[in-house]
Order: sequence, then structure tokens, then C-alpha cells
Amino acid sequence: MVNSSAPDNGIGTVKAVPEAAAAQECLPADNRVPGNGAVWVGIFAEMTEFALMFLVYFIAKVHYPEYFDEGPLKLNTTAGVLNTLALLTSSFFVAKAMSSVRKGNIQLAIRWLWGTVASAVAYLLIKTWEYYWNIQQGIEVDTNLFFTVYYYMTFNHFLHVFWGGGAILWAIWRLKSGFYTAEKHEGMEAIACYWHMIDLVWIIIFPLLYVLR
Amino acid sequence: MNSNLDSQSTMPTLTSYKILDYVWIVLMALTIGSALVAESAEPSLLVTIVIAFTIGIKGRLVVDRFMELRNAHPYIRFAMNFYFYMLPIVIVLVFLFPETIADLTRLKR
Repeated sequence: MVNSSAPDNGIGTVKAVPEAAAAQECLPADNRVPGNGAVWVGIFAEMTEFALMFLVYFIAKVHYPEYFDEGPLKLNTTAGVLNTLALLTSSFFVAKAMSSVRKGNIQLAIRWLWGTVASAVAYLLIKTWEYYWNIQQGIEVDTNLFFTVYYYMTFNHFLHVFWGGGAILWAIWRLKSGFYTAEKHEGMEAIACYWHMIDLVWIIIFPLLYVLR
Repeated sequence: MNSNLDSQSTMPTLTSYKILDYVWIVLMALTIGSALVAESAEPSLLVTIVIAFTIGIKGRLVVDRFMELRNAHPYIRFAMNFYFYMLPIVIVLVFLFPETIADLTRLKR
């Protein structure tokens, strides 16, 4: 059974559950800081950076409404949807991996994280193809202000997926090396939170650039 | 550690583990719904509200269920959820009052 009597410091620990349910599940402790404090400084800094980009988007949209009305129609919506499905699925895999680690099932967690890596690679390939498709359609950074915002926002996000994928590979290596266990896995939880942040940002970018007019 | 926890056969009995499956299905459905709107609907207040609401729902689902902030520290949970309350509101405001916002953000008057 997972050691539910581990000291609860509120960070990356599990809380005790009733005996009958203990064999099934250990839930994250209440009022905890998931992962560690440092990763949340990073997450809020990143969210603020993207908030500024969204602010630029909104201001540009009200000043150049014609570009922002036509822009989404010229983009490849299929690529945007596939990117969204890939990232949401990658987040789902990370959540499954975290749940598996809490159960002590390290091998299953590793398999879920490989699914995340596969989803991230799919995202990067689709986005690369989308940029290639754009250039074939004559859509470039300086085509108009909508596409300048589009390239700045999506390429910035592209880089986050790239290095976030690297962090997931690091988590896989740490799992394989036995650094993370059912009781101690705050490093993996920090990486998981960072990955979910990347997914959350895309949840906003997709409708702003591909859907709203 | 009890060996039965290492068995994959125990996993499907987990409530929160199974809930993740349903959350993922809802997120997929909302994404495909947004894509259909993008391809078919003309811009309108109703469409804008639906899209803004969808962003809020998807954000909350990821924050609460995937990120597991439902019972995390209240400051962290509030900050993340605040983002997904404010952004949909801004989207609707920009649709309703574009000229006013343009006037407020114009450098030369």
C-alpha cells in the first residue's frame, strides 16, 4: 500500500484516504503547492507574457478590424484543430501519468509520458507543415498585422512545446532512474504543471486566431 | 508497497483516473464544436459568447482536472481560474465596444 502516513508538507505529497479506498487511490494533499514554488513563478511569468501578447492582439484587432475579420478565414483551420487535439491529448496523458505515479505504477506512468512526447512531436510536425502551407499561400510575417500577431504568438508557443517536450523526456528519464516514487514526485508534478500551462495557452490562442472574427 | 498496486488491473477502479477519460472526451468535443463554428457561422454576438464560454469551460476543466488544482493552494487556484474568467469577458467586450477600445488605445488624438 502506498505510504499514506508520509509527512504532509503540502508539496508533492499524498494525503491519507479512508482505509477502504486506500487500496485504490491516493489523492493530492489539500492546499498544497503542486510541484514546487519555483515552477509557479515560472508559470505565472509565462502566463503574464502571453497575456501581454493577447493584449496586443485585442488592441490590433480593434484598430485593424478588416485584417482580423479576413485573417482567420485564410488560415488552415484543420491544422489548428489537429494542433488543439494533439495538445489536449498530451495534457490528458500527463494527467494519467501523474495518477499512475501516485499509484506506484511507474512503468505505466512512463508509457503515458511517451504518449505525451508523441503528441508533442505531432504538434510540432503539424505546425511546421502549417507554416509551409502558409508560405505557399503567400501568408508571411509581414503580410498584414493579423499575420504578424499570428506568427509571433504561434512561434513563441511552438518554442514552448519544444522545450516542454524536453522536460517531459527528462521526467521519463527520472522515472526510469527511480527518482520518482508514489510518495515523492514533486519534480514530475512541477513538469506536469508546466506542460498543462502550455496546453492552457493554446486553448486561448486557437479560438483567437482561427475561430473569432 | 503492496504488490496489487503495481498491477495495471487495479487502475480502472479509480474514480478520478476514470474521470480524466470523460474530461478528455468533453475537451475533444468542445474543440471540434469550435472548429465547426469557425467553418460555418458568421460573426455575431451569440457566436462570440459561445466561443468565449467554451474557452472558459475548457480552461477550467484543464485547471481543475488535469492540473489538479481543485484542492490546491487557493491563491494558485484563484490566479489560474481568474485568467479564464477575465479572458472570455475581454473577448465579449472587444466584440461589443471595438470603437471605444480603439479610442482608448489610440496614441494620437
